[in-house]
Amino acid sequence: MKVGVYFCSCGTSITERIDGEKVREGLRKNPSVAFVRGCEFLCSGEGKDFLREDVKTAKPDRVVIAACSPREYEKTFMQVVSEGGLNPYLMQMVNVREHVAWVTPDRAQATKKACALIRAAVARVALHEPLERRQLEACPDVLVIGAGPAGLKCALMLAEAGRKVALVEKSPVLGGLPVRFGELAPALECGPCVLEPILAEVLHGDYSDRIEVLTLAEVTEGVGYYGNFTVKIRQSPRYVDTGLCMGCGECFPPCPVSIKDEFNYGLNERKAIALPFPGGLPNVPFLDPTACVRSSGQDCHLCRDACPVEGAVNFNDRERTLERHVGAIAVAVGASVYDCTKIPVLGYGSIPGVYTSLEVERLLAQNGPSKGEILAPNGQPPKSVALIHCVGSLDSNHRPYCSGVCCQTAFKFNRVIRHNLPGTKFYHFYKEMSVPGKEEYGLYEKVRNDPDSRFVQYRESSDLKVTRPNGSIVVEYYDVAKRQKKVEVDVVVLCAALGPAAESERLAQILDVSLDKFGFFEELHGRTDSARSKLKGVYLAGACQAPMDLQKSILQGMAASGYILSGLAEGRQLQIEPVVASVNTDRCSGCKTCHSVCPFKAINLVSGERGERAEINALLCQGCGTCVAACPAGAIKGSHFTNDQIFAETEAVLQ
Amino acid sequence: MTPSNQPVASNVQIEPNIEPFEPSIVGFLCNWCSYAGADKAGAAHLSCPANLRVVRVMCSGRVDPQFVLQAYRKGADGVLILACHPGDCHYKEGNYRAAQRHRLLLRLLRQFGISEERCRFDYVSAGEGEKFVNVVTEMVDTLKRLGPLTLGRTRTRDSAPVNTTRRDV
Repeated sequence: MKVGVYFCSCGTSITERIDGEKVREGLRKNPSVAFVRGCEFLCSGEGKDFLREDVKTAKPDRVVIAACSPREYEKTFMQVVSEGGLNPYLMQMVNVREHVAWVTPDRAQATKKACALIRAAVARVALHEPLERRQLEACPDVLVIGAGPAGLKCALMLAEAGRKVALVEKSPVLGGLPVRFGELAPALECGPCVLEPILAEVLHGDYSDRIEVLTLAEVTEGVGYYGNFTVKIRQSPRYVDTGLCMGCGECFPPCPVSIKDEFNYGLNERKAIALPFPGGLPNVPFLDPTACVRSSGQDCHLCRDACPVEGAVNFNDRERTLERHVGAIAVAVGASVYDCTKIPVLGYGSIPGVYTSLEVERLLAQNGPSKGEILAPNGQPPKSVALIHCVGSLDSNHRPYCSGVCCQTAFKFNRVIRHNLPGTKFYHFYKEMSVPGKEEYGLYEKVRNDPDSRFVQYRESSDLKVTRPNGSIVVEYYDVAKRQKKVEVDVVVLCAALGPAAESERLAQILDVSLDKFGFFEELHGRTDSARSKLKGVYLAGACQAPMDLQKSILQGMAASGYILSGLAEGRQLQIEPVVASVNTDRCSGCKTCHSVCPFKAINLVSGERGERAEINALLCQGCGTCVAACPAGAIKGSHFTNDQIFAETEAVLQ
Repeated sequence: MTPSNQPVASNVQIEPNIEPFEPSIVGFLCNWCSYAGADKAGAAHLSCPANLRVVRVMCSGRVDPQFVLQAYRKGADGVLILACHPGDCHYKEGNYRAAQRHRLLLRLLRQFGISEERCRFDYVSAGEGEKFVNVVTEMVDTLKRLGPLTLGRTRTRDSAPVNTTRRDV
């Protein structure tokens, strides 16, 4: 074994404290060391040329570089020695600058410490093995789950870049929540007007042939890993052929069934065959099989008879299970609004005229159940409205955080209702006011300067009580000074916190990704990687990751597509880093200890002749070595940080 | 576990020619936080006792208790295991595994008669150059107080009674 040691003096940074001659002398006695070479600046162009050429000519079996921190130049020197013909993993760096010269004032001590560390590196590097990066074929196609703003934008960006996308949406209609809103905060544009251009691109644009839109569909199974996922999608029957139907609506009137319209939160009724709301895309009705009288055995076909297109209404439509092979998955299932019945003092569900923000969104929408009108329980336009902010927010019994969007929503309602009903009075009850942003602040400012809009700060939900003693609604409250007051209003709007979507938990289990303590999909890093889940290849877009507004949701959709486009390029193989763990199956007893400690879900138990054995997916393994230390049988090897290498290093530093 | 109250200095004085005891410390530092914290101490040119020899691992979760035991066997008087702060682990939760193993390891060390103080687990972030120096300095002071670790005798300098039934509270 011929080890070459290169000692960089880093100008005088290192040699000022470490006696290079003594280091050389110490290594002379070491039988593995073939030569010691000094260099002034090994990281300079000149220094790198010297290192490359010297490795080429002197042909050491191993190289030790005593210089600065490996965190700074290890990758550079690995590249240089590999250009010199040595496998880059046959090199070890010794940090004699940051860890010795710069922290040890005493020259004798510094020199002694440097000698020990270099000696250890020589002992360690002798045990290094040449390692190679491996390549893996990866599928560039993508699955996007959820066709709200984030999912739509993500799918569109990917399709525009040439990717094939399967876009799975559980409801019969695309666009998520905001497409159902009459006006959007902060600029009061109409929801459909803002989102329909994106929807039109997805459904009928230049790249729409690359997007497979699957409505009434949900993911039921997901296996595999980054670059190679196989997912199963269950699509419920629509009973209306999206290719044949022209959306004329002739099928609704004859339908004998009327049920509460869940798309308008039960504020009106719809037929068993219906559009979720006028203008919803795709403009194709769906038949609700549980509501249809055919489910109780009656041979009703009034809708089919009314349909002018032969075969568009198809009672023989069946549930389908589709399988798709994709390289990455973007989760964009959105959020839900906190259930206001959990705070009974606010009267939601028991007092007519108390609405949630989502209900008011629909009431104020032109395509909603009341064609844009909001009415008090007496059927008259309200003369006064209480807008309660922070419902369920900033409350450790409900949602401890601020969702950051509800204040905007309340001010939006104020503006829109004020526009329609000029004389109305507004009472804003809030715990904290949160309206950052250049446009959002303007929305607040208009309301603040409105003489008929008043603000009342309260501390907690128990400070409020909504009652209806004799026909009109009364909001009793304690203000922050604990003074008890009350105000009579016609309508109460509860602007509640955003929480995780109902299906988050099920989906997280299927995809094997984690949720945070609130039930939102957990991001890899809250600041630097909020659009990545902790599982490589699964990305997060929109309010499934945290409460957020439309702007941020769409940005995250684009961020997720960016990760996918840069990570999974068409025709480019995935690189598998060689510093990973691997299992010696002969020693593995299948105890699953490693499986339970792996933070990246990189370990699977594979059934073989002798029962289950652990197998590590090198693509998912990040090389932390936690499983290596955990394995009770010593069956896992952490390459480049093997037990033997660490033992040798430890022993040598102590000599 | 109380270390010997007998001052080290009085032992040293028995042989007047002996050099003052300088403990050997092996530190297993994770690459992303603690090793970077040690780099930071260097970049800030802080003065740090030269007793520590760093063995870099990618994650504190890689630190096998065997590494620690081997360090004692080969002459270390103390071992440091330094990890990312809770929630900051580059590998998400390797530092938690390291913390758990450390607690178990302390029980084992007690059975060997090795003082718990000889094996310190701590969190050092990439920005905590000063904390790194403090941890090393404190460890050196602790070990100077405990004196050298001598294994293979009936009773170690730590004067810890071997009590296998004792449990952590």
